[in-house]
Amino acid sequence: MAISAATKAATDALAVNRAPTSVNAQEVHRWLQSFTWEFDKNRSKYPTKYKMANDTKEQFKLIAKEYARMESVKDERQFGSLQDVLTRVDAANKVHPKWNETMKVISNFLEVGEYNAIAATGMLWDSASAPEQKNGYLAQTLDEIRHTNQCGYVNYYFTKHGQDAAGHNDARRTRTIGPLWKGMKRVFSDGFISGDAVECSINLQLVGEACFTNPLIVAVTEWAAANGDEITPTVFLSIETDELRHMANGYQTIVSIANDEAASKYLNTDLNNAFWTQQKYFTPVLGMAFEYGSHFKVEPWVKTWNRWVYEDWGGIWIGRLGKYGVESPASLRDAKKDAYWAHHDLFLLAYALWPTGFFRLTLPTQEEMDWFEENYPGWYEHYGKILEEWKARGCEDPSSGFIPLMWFIENNHPIYIDRVSQVPFCPDLCKGASTLRVHEYNGKKHTFSDDWGERMWLTEPERYECQNMFEQYAGRELSEVIAELHGVRSDGKTLIAQPHTDKDGKMWTLDDIKALNCVFSDPVDAL
Amino acid sequence: MSNNANSYGAGIMAKTGKAFADEYFAEENQVVHESNEVVLVLKKSDEMNIIVEEILLGDRKDDNPSLVVEDRAGYWWLKATGKIEIDCEEAAEILGKEYNVYDFLVDVSSTIGRAFTLGETFTITSELMGLDRKLEDLES
Repeated sequence: MAISAATKAATDALAVNRAPTSVNAQEVHRWLQSFTWEFDKNRSKYPTKYKMANDTKEQFKLIAKEYARMESVKDERQFGSLQDVLTRVDAANKVHPKWNETMKVISNFLEVGEYNAIAATGMLWDSASAPEQKNGYLAQTLDEIRHTNQCGYVNYYFTKHGQDAAGHNDARRTRTIGPLWKGMKRVFSDGFISGDAVECSINLQLVGEACFTNPLIVAVTEWAAANGDEITPTVFLSIETDELRHMANGYQTIVSIANDEAASKYLNTDLNNAFWTQQKYFTPVLGMAFEYGSHFKVEPWVKTWNRWVYEDWGGIWIGRLGKYGVESPASLRDAKKDAYWAHHDLFLLAYALWPTGFFRLTLPTQEEMDWFEENYPGWYEHYGKILEEWKARGCEDPSSGFIPLMWFIENNHPIYIDRVSQVPFCPDLCKGASTLRVHEYNGKKHTFSDDWGERMWLTEPERYECQNMFEQYAGRELSEVIAELHGVRSDGKTLIAQPHTDKDGKMWTLDDIKALNCVFSDPVDAL
Repeated sequence: MSNNANSYGAGIMAKTGKAFADEYFAEENQVVHESNEVVLVLKKSDEMNIIVEEILLGDRKDDNPSLVVEDRAGYWWLKATGKIEIDCEEAAEILGKEYNVYDFLVDVSSTIGRAFTLGETFTITSELMGLDRKLEDLES
């Protein structure tokens, strides 16, 4: 009986490459390579302007059996710790209340990033033509599924065992109220899965993972531990044990295109756009989460950023690639300015807009204000005095009839939303690298806060059409919007978000917000 | 805390307030500078604690004088010039159990540099693997 071409090929290959008799995983890995598919002529559903080489390697020589064994050991250790000793010692209730709120933001948002990374790496699997490179991307797809579950589990754990469940449970239902979710979706979703496949890899793996997961998933564990949280280090450090392979995947993406002419034309622009896209959100949000969402401080955020982003990612990843034509991102100067000031700018706005969130924010104590001034000279004069004024007006107490958003309106400090990043900014008060610029397109005005986003929008304006909250809710009263969009706790009237974490402090309700008569208006109309 | 240039608080990190800001915003620091260092983050566990204490800071300490190891709560933070290598056969002997390079990867939390495995050796290097030098497969 005639045998098929495929069977003959396999039989011939077996004759040349005898199956290994040992169980050494790396021997098996080498042997498997002689049975690979020819992917170089396959068409991809997700094309790229770059040509990815057909001989790119995967750095860890993974085979399915060893991969599955590694991951199951990781899960055993993680869930074992959580369910045994950490539950027994009531760990979730020993977390500082401010940090408990911070984890509502960090774990819920990271879950979204991990979920989108499933699709991103599936797309990259389809785009690549080198079998080993595909193998690396495929393992990453599996990792991202694991991480999505892990992040969801952190919030579930805090909900079940912790001190304030609202916001840990089902935070997604509040996703359309405030601006934080939309900015996060820009970096964690759009940046990872929209556009050219290699650009997505640069966003996800070379910048998102190789650069920003170090502060987001590694450094965060120090802040967590300092604030009594042993749950986050247990889970996040386990997540990060997969990230090193993802960083390697991003690097191998660059290796695979290094000899392609398109790399010299496009790579530096794509890298700069990806760096700016990721830093524009992560830099202020992580800085705010660490410094304003903790009681016990580890080090100034700008130092964390300088170490992990500028010195290590910049020097060890990007700097080393200089001889292959990779340049220092043109936006680095502005990013450094943001790393020093933008999280303070963001806290002012986040605290002013607190009713639109799904977590509780707290004004810094006197001791914390002294820490800010010591580490960011000039902080008190610019930010501290404003926060003191808000506190003096009773912004934490519902009977005051005052939320800091009213202060912005009274003092004619309009808040705009950057069209590209969806990050809010107040040009009058901002010390980070944001200034107002406006464009009119298709009869509509769009505001921008920086050169880099503006440039991206001018290239592809149709890509950035997300409505911001001022456009979406113009003319509507704030408490109505909060009620309609699920921003209340299980009693149906108390807001999930609050401007304090004092367990004896009075909680704001929909009635308290209604009494303020805050009506959304789009500040762009006045321009 | 080590005085080594690779330590966590070395260089600009030792400065505070205005002195830090002056260096941070200095014109020469507005572009990236190529670095020959590598960073490794190891999640604390029975195995990693022994590997750090008995191999990297024990028997093999003199092999790599540039290596700095710091305790950062949930993890060990390592930085060295050039490369860091861990031989998992040596680790297995000290641990007294089967322990291969994939067991080691269970608790490697982050890498800055090019990390790869070959046989039972884990390496993180500042070399550009795949560009400056080919990634090797295990020899037959």
